[in-house]
Amino acid sequence: MRPVVFALALIATPAFAQVTADTPNPLAGNADAIEAGHGLFGKMNCAGCHAYDLTGGMGPDLTDPSWQYGGKPGEIYHTIAEGTPRGMPAWKDKLTGDEIWQLVAYIQSRKQ
Amino acid sequence: MALRKILLGAVLLGSAALPSSGEAPKKEAAPAAKSFTGATANLAPGDAAGQWTRQARDYANTRYSPLTQINTKNVGRLRIAWSFSDGQMYGHEGAPLVVGDTMYLVTPYPNIAYALDLSKPGAPIKWVFQPNPDPRAIGKACCDKVLRGWAYADGKLIYNLLDDNTVAVDVNTGKEAWRVKLDDVTKGPTMTMAAFVVGDKVFVGSSGGELGTNGWFQALDVKDGHTVWKAFTNGPDDGALIGPDFKPFYSWMKGKDLGVSTWPGEMGKQGASAPWGWVSYDPDLNEIYYGTSNPGPRTPSQRPGLNLWSSAVFARDASSGAAKWAYQFTPHDEWDYDGVNENVLIEIPWKGARRKVMVHFNRNGFAYTIDRKTGEVLVANPFGHQNWAKNIDLTIGMPVINDAAHPIVEKKVTNICPPDIGVKNWNPSAFSPRTGLLYAGVFNSCMDLNNHIVQYIPSSPYDGMEMQRHAGPGGNWGDFIAWDPVAGKRVWSIKENLYVWSGAVVTGSDLVFYGTMDGWFRAADARTGKVLWSQKLGSGITAAPMTFVGPDKRQYVAVYAGIGGGAGVLRRERGFMPGGNTLYVFSVDGNGIGNGTTQLTQAGAPAPVSVPPAAAHN
Ligand code: HEC
Repeated sequence: MRPVVFALALIATPAFAQVTADTPNPLAGNADAIEAGHGLFGKMNCAGCHAYDLTGGMGPDLTDPSWQYGGKPGEIYHTIAEGTPRGMPAWKDKLTGDEIWQLVAYIQSRKQ
Repeated sequence: MALRKILLGAVLLGSAALPSSGEAPKKEAAPAAKSFTGATANLAPGDAAGQWTRQARDYANTRYSPLTQINTKNVGRLRIAWSFSDGQMYGHEGAPLVVGDTMYLVTPYPNIAYALDLSKPGAPIKWVFQPNPDPRAIGKACCDKVLRGWAYADGKLIYNLLDDNTVAVDVNTGKEAWRVKLDDVTKGPTMTMAAFVVGDKVFVGSSGGELGTNGWFQALDVKDGHTVWKAFTNGPDDGALIGPDFKPFYSWMKGKDLGVSTWPGEMGKQGASAPWGWVSYDPDLNEIYYGTSNPGPRTPSQRPGLNLWSSAVFARDASSGAAKWAYQFTPHDEWDYDGVNENVLIEIPWKGARRKVMVHFNRNGFAYTIDRKTGEVLVANPFGHQNWAKNIDLTIGMPVINDAAHPIVEKKVTNICPPDIGVKNWNPSAFSPRTGLLYAGVFNSCMDLNNHIVQYIPSSPYDGMEMQRHAGPGGNWGDFIAWDPVAGKRVWSIKENLYVWSGAVVTGSDLVFYGTMDGWFRAADARTGKVLWSQKLGSGITAAPMTFVGPDKRQYVAVYAGIGGGAGVLRRERGFMPGGNTLYVFSVDGNGIGNGTTQLTQAGAPAPVSVPPAAAHN
C-alpha cells in the first residue's frame, strides 16, 4: 500500500478530461477514501453487477489479478467514468471526480 | 421438405409409434404400459415422430418423443456419432431443432445461427447467420449471456437477440428475413427466452428481473415481425390487456388496476416482473400460458404490497392477448422466486372427472397442479427442500409463510431455503403420457441472506440481495426426480453432486435423458429411476436434450455441453466444469453419418451414407 500523501479535504481533483492513464490516484491508500468508496460501491449499484464482495456476477471479478481495461489508477478511473463497449455503464454524469477516485481506491485495496 | 403433419386430438397412452417421415412405420406400439397416474397430454401439433421442430416438441411443453429405436435394452450402447463446436463460450441452454433434413442451432451471445445438413456425412454447415447484436447487452444480462431456444415457422428460423431484437432468418438462403427492435437494451432489458410460435404468431417476452425493467410480453406476426399485441405485466389494466374476460379464481387477485395499486406509488413501472421463461399453448381453448419474474427491487421492504403481477402465471387468449386469469405463486415475493418456469399442459383424473391442468415446478419449491380453464390450484406440494412456507392454503391459494424466513435489511438471516435460484430454475421438465409422470432436474440448497436498501439507477441492477448459498440436507446440491402431478409426490429420485440444471426429454421407450453440471449425460429408466447409461462430456450440461431420426432412419439423441447461465452461481464448487460449446450427437454404437470407413471420401465429394446394421433397429 502506498503512503497516504494527502488529507481528503485538501485534494484538488483533476477534471475528467485531465485524467490520463498515468495520473496517480490522489486518494490512494487513504482509509477514509477507501471507506467512502466501499459505501459508493453499494449505493451506486456497482455491487449489483460485480457482487458485494467484488468477485463478479453480471460484471467481471474485480479482485482477481487481471485487468481487461488496464490496472493503473488512471485507467480504472477512465473505465468507471466512460464505461466500456461491453456493457459497463458510464458514471461520469452520476459521480464526481472525487467519488470516482474513492471507488478506484476501494477497488485497488481489494485487488489480489 | 415433407414435414408430414399428423393432426392429433388428445393423444392417449400407447401412441408410442407414430409413423414419421424419418422413421419407417413399425410393427406396433409398445404394449400398453401402465401409467402411474392416468395423466395424458394433447401432443399437438403432432409433428412426425422423428422431427423436433419446437423447443419443447409440442405446444403442451411435454418434451415427450414417441421414438423407440433407442430403448432400455440398447441404450447402454449409445456412443458419440458426431459433435459440433460452435466456438462461443457463454452458457448453452437451448435444444437443437430438426426440421426435415436440417438441424438448426443458435449460439448464446453473439447469437450466431447454424444450419447443418443431416443428409451429408459429418452434417456439414449449410449456412451461418451472424446478427451482430449490440455488445452493450453483455453488461445487462443478469445471468450470463444466454439464449434458451429458437423456433421454426413458415420457412424461417426465429429467435431473440440479447439486445432486444427478434430476428427471422430465411432457412433456404440463411439471410435475414426481418428484424424488429422491441426495447432499449441500454436501459436494462435483454431478451433470452426461446421464441414460441403458434400459427401466424411468434410469442416473445423480456428479461431483466434484476434491472428495474418494465416487463412485457408480445405476439409478433410471423410474416414480418410486426407487433400484433403487447401486454405489460404491471401497470394499469389497459396496458396489461386485463379487461372484462379476466376472471382470476381467487378474490385477492380481483379488482381494478391491481398492477398499480399493489405497489407503492409508481414503483410497478420499475417492478420488473419480466416474462423470460417458457410459453405453452392449448389449441382447444386457444390460450397461451406464461409466467413472470420476481418483482424489483429484490429488497421487499421497499415495495410493500402484493406486487401484482410479479411471480405469477398468466392465461391469455392467443389471438387478442386478453388476459383470462392469473395466479400469483409468491405474493409480495421476498426471496427472488420468479414464476417463469415451464407450464406443462396435461389432463388428469380428478375426483371422478378429467381436468385440463398445467403442472408448474415453481422456484419457491412447490409443484402446482392448476386447472388451466379457471386458475384453481388443485395440488401444491413441495417437490424439494424448502422452509420459507409451511404450506399453500388451497382455500385461498396463498402460502402460509414461516416467520423466520423474512429477510431483514442490514442483518443476516440464516438458512432460508431455497435461495434465490430456487428448488428448480428455468431448466424444463418432461412429461410422459405413458408413465403419467413429470421428470425434472431440481436443486437442494439454502441461503444466508442480508438485504440492502437500493436506489433505482436506470441501466443498473435494482437488486439489494447479498447472500451465501449452501447445500441443503444430505449435502448433495441436486437431484433428478420423477413427479406424480395428481398425488403431488416424488415417485423416485437420483442424487447428483451439483444442481441438476439441464432440461429433460422422455421417450416412447420409457427412457429419460438429462445432464449434470459435472458433465455427465445420463439415460434413466423412466419407470424406476435406474440409471442405464452415462457419458462424461467436455463441459457441464445446462441445456435441454432432444432426440430425432436422421435421414438415415436412425434415432439420435443430442445435447449441448456448455455450462453457464444461472448455474454459474456454483462456479467455485468442486466438480464445476469449465465452459464449453459442443453439441454431442449420440446413436447406438455411434453409427451414422459422422464416422465409418464409408465416410472417408475426398473432401467435398458426397459420401454414401452407411445403412445402419439391423441391430441398430432394436
Ligand atoms: C450493469 C452492470 C454494471 C454496473 C452497474 C457496473 N458495472 Fe463495472 N463492469 C460491468 C461489465 C459488464 C464490465 C466488463 C465490461 C467489458 O468487458 O467491456 C465491467 C467492468 C468494470 C471495470 C473494469 C474491470 C477490468 O478488468 O478492466 C471496473 C473497474 C468496473 N467495472 C467498476 C465498476 C464500478 C466502480 C461500478 C459502480 C460505479 C460499476 N462497475 C458498475 C458491469 C457493470
